[in-house]
Amino acid sequence: MAPDWHALHGSVKEHVGRSTRQRLGPMSAAQFQRFAVAVGDLNPRYFDPEAAREQGFPGVVAPPLYLTSVLGWQAGPAEDELRPDGAESEVMAGVPLEGVRLMGAGQEVELSHPVCDGTDVTLEVSVDDVELKHGGSGQFLILRLLRRYLDDRGTELMRCRETFIAR
Amino acid sequence: MATRPKYDEVEVGAEIPAQTYPVQRLNLVMYAGASGDFNPIHWNERFAKAVGLPDVIAHGMYTMAEAGRLLTDWAGDPGAVVEYGVRFSAPVVVPDEEGATIQVGGKVEEKLGDGKVAVAITAKAGDATILTRARAVVQLA
Repeated sequence: MAPDWHALHGSVKEHVGRSTRQRLGPMSAAQFQRFAVAVGDLNPRYFDPEAAREQGFPGVVAPPLYLTSVLGWQAGPAEDELRPDGAESEVMAGVPLEGVRLMGAGQEVELSHPVCDGTDVTLEVSVDDVELKHGGSGQFLILRLLRRYLDDRGTELMRCRETFIAR
Repeated sequence: MATRPKYDEVEVGAEIPAQTYPVQRLNLVMYAGASGDFNPIHWNERFAKAVGLPDVIAHGMYTMAEAGRLLTDWAGDPGAVVEYGVRFSAPVVVPDEEGATIQVGGKVEEKLGDGKVAVAITAKAGDATILTRARAVVQLA
């Protein structure tokens, strides 16, 4: 069934400017080390506490794109809980996007402070903008999210502007 | 390890030595677990083909991280990248047997002062340009 694009655009638009917060809790070295191994980036700073301390960090440091690359912070969904397009429902921070196919279109990341083993992180997600477009293959939405990652003192560690296409 | 580039010595137009990064299905499965992105288009051929893709494709952010390695390897410091943005222009198709290879290159576009340089990145898999508008700001010593 083709979605009612105008209605969908309207309901997503209501979320523009709103934000949701999720406490992710203390970062775990084992988790970001798995990420480092998966992308093949084996800098000793991520793995060896002594090497990290010699470089002035309190403990091992997460790879720079770790936080913004993690889409699901829960234990992981059962396969039948995935959206029909295969994406996870958690990703869109409560924005109503049932019945459309989501595709990541790009990211712009600004890195301010390193994330270390034990850094207590809170994620704030807001909808920056949504546009209804008419393309050759029909209508689609362009959705821009802002994800901000804060430590337990409220200092911004990094931010990510992320663009999705919903069709 | 290569000598770290110094801001005063880097010239606009300087090429960053190109690198190739191989991608196997195993990387994608590991990445799915590490990122919590379990979309089956990244590990299930049947599902990928059913939604119109030629085969399993790499996660966009996986591709972004691989291209980012060019910068951190060049600068010699994972903390050197202060801004980094990409558009995903084509997927990296990862067939079961042969896998894929990501080719990444870069060029210094501008010296921004305070030791920062703007770098333009190119990333291809085979003939396909996989990232467009890929730019970063890198802090040099």
